[in-house]
Amino acid sequence: MAIFEHGAVKIEVDEDGFMQEPEQWNEAVAKALATTEGVDNLTDEHWKLVHYLREYYLKFGIAPMIRKLCKETGFPLKKVYELFPSGPAKGACKVAGLAKPTGCV
Amino acid sequence: MGDRKRSYKAEKVIERLGKKLNRQIVGSLAACVHCGMCTRSCHYVLTNPDDPTYAPAYKADKIRKLFKRHYDWTGRVLPWWVGAKSIYTDDELEELKDTVFGKCTNCRRCSINCPMGVDYATFNRMARGLLVSVGVMPEGVAVVSKDQWELGNQMGVLKEDYIETLEWMSDELATELEVPGPLIPIDKEDCAVVYSINPREVKYDPRTIADAAKIFYAAGEDWTMPSEGWDMTNFGLFSGDDDLGGAVAKRLYEKVVELRGRTLVISECGHGYRSTRCEGPNWGKVDVPFVMESSVNTMLRYIKDGRIKVDKTKNTVPVTFHDSCNNARSCGLFEEPRELLQLVCTDFREMYPNRNENYCCTGGGGAMSMSEYTNRRLKSGRVKADQLAETGAKTVVTSCHNCVDGLTDVIRHYKLGMDVTQLVNLVANALILPPKPVVVPELPEEVVPVAEGLELAGKTILAVDDEPDILVFIAAVLEDHGATVIQAHNADVGIELARREKPDLITLDISMPGKDGGFVFEAIRNDPELQRTPVCIISGKPELRRLIYDRAVPPPEGFLEKPISEETLLLNVRKILELAHVKKS
Repeated sequence: MAIFEHGAVKIEVDEDGFMQEPEQWNEAVAKALATTEGVDNLTDEHWKLVHYLREYYLKFGIAPMIRKLCKETGFPLKKVYELFPSGPAKGACKVAGLAKPTGCV
Repeated sequence: MGDRKRSYKAEKVIERLGKKLNRQIVGSLAACVHCGMCTRSCHYVLTNPDDPTYAPAYKADKIRKLFKRHYDWTGRVLPWWVGAKSIYTDDELEELKDTVFGKCTNCRRCSINCPMGVDYATFNRMARGLLVSVGVMPEGVAVVSKDQWELGNQMGVLKEDYIETLEWMSDELATELEVPGPLIPIDKEDCAVVYSINPREVKYDPRTIADAAKIFYAAGEDWTMPSEGWDMTNFGLFSGDDDLGGAVAKRLYEKVVELRGRTLVISECGHGYRSTRCEGPNWGKVDVPFVMESSVNTMLRYIKDGRIKVDKTKNTVPVTFHDSCNNARSCGLFEEPRELLQLVCTDFREMYPNRNENYCCTGGGGAMSMSEYTNRRLKSGRVKADQLAETGAKTVVTSCHNCVDGLTDVIRHYKLGMDVTQLVNLVANALILPPKPVVVPELPEEVVPVAEGLELAGKTILAVDDEPDILVFIAAVLEDHGATVIQAHNADVGIELARREKPDLITLDISMPGKDGGFVFEAIRNDPELQRTPVCIISGKPELRRLIYDRAVPPPEGFLEKPISEETLLLNVRKILELAHVKKS
């Protein structure tokens, strides 16, 4: 367990930097977490992806398959990696305030 | 000593330890002379030089003391001399958990550097298994194991999502290559290759699936992906749970047998390769009736056999290769990936030490699932980071999904600015694709023949028959070959049209209402203008032939019985016309 601070944002994260209390998420938190993923500026496209992940997570409690993510947002696979260079599992999910994905990732 | 009360879990751990002891484990537990060679080979020790609790011999002693106390005569006779000690409380089990899960990645580097042949990683795995059997394990391990037991794969991917993702990649590839799909056959039987993957590929990064499909396509491989049992990873290897290990491995084996596949190809994943190819048959207690190989071997074979062509100048970025512990140290797979790299990259730089002496990526075949140890993991990653930085390479290649994630973490933590990729991506990128199949446009269904050049072109044929169907049939066949066909449905019309049109040939039915074919035939033969016109009788009643042949006129040129085939009609008409032509000239 660790505390992540960035500007006015102060949240609890696990040792991989994922939120411990996903319900504390808001857009300011997303912006702060994005800086740890090498994304300093969240564009409309970033937000579209982040909001989709967030909604899916709140509904089902897990991260969606990349197939669903691309289908629902309309982004091709390449685009997802352009937006979040560390990929959907670690980069995008972290910014959207999801808990760390399970499995060997 | 035995009087002290032991917790239920501690009791079970000690009891089950006795059942796990085999020659390899007993040898390893008995042989340590505490020489300290292992300390210099462990990346945890190298990055925590002042903390003796990371030393493999120290960690091993935590398990060894139980063995000595309960299963070895030296510990029963001289417990204080050999450090024999038992375990009593659940807290002590938690402490043991912290060591076996959190202070060792089971990379086996100390094992190969031990002069006494102590395989510490093997009994560390056994100790994990004992703890898992009493429910003492990190939460991440519990979640992943549960998914693999219950859903058949370690990331909880549902069958329909898996199949939809394969179809998606198949479509994308077909579009890219501009060839008709599907390019990823699912559950095809009797294939040369059944391809199995890591759920990470289908859940988060299916680019490796598309790349593999591209290579299979270029090689013209007869291959398939199974709809079930497709997860070749096996958390039983990481958690030490042999039952889970056997159950997972058997699911895949059984599916390959069901599909009657000849070779099971395992995508680039270290712990998947080790558990499926090397350990699974033992855990599952089964004989495997097909060949198993890493996709690294498959790709290399394709290039050597000339089944795919590659252009290494497509990959010019300097690359280095990281050996996965499970692939290299445990399964001896380290020359093949290098050979393949040399074929598909222009600038390969070796990392030191390498092959079975290479250092762990910190991923440890599943260690990434335990966030609580991430800081230790990253600290121990400094050894790897130094190794990577010294190569001067821009990209590190590895044949393991765990290593991809472990290395990515290390690279980010130590700000090395390198990319991580796999051989499948590089081979696909270097691929020279075979020329696209030439697609012959299909001819439209109804071909309207040009009269010119056809065998009956310019010929006029009179068909006399009372059955409309026969008339249509004769007309259609002969017109298809260029003739002009006039139709008469009775004797009178036939004679009239014959006189008026002067056809080159007359086909004539015998049995017709009113005047029959014999009447028409005689009329034609007696007509000075028509008497040389060839006549072909077409009759369903051969017994009536005397109506023709009894007449005092020259016999007809042809006689066909109904039903009549297209070929017979054509052949006879053509022959009769040829003979008539010869007679005339």
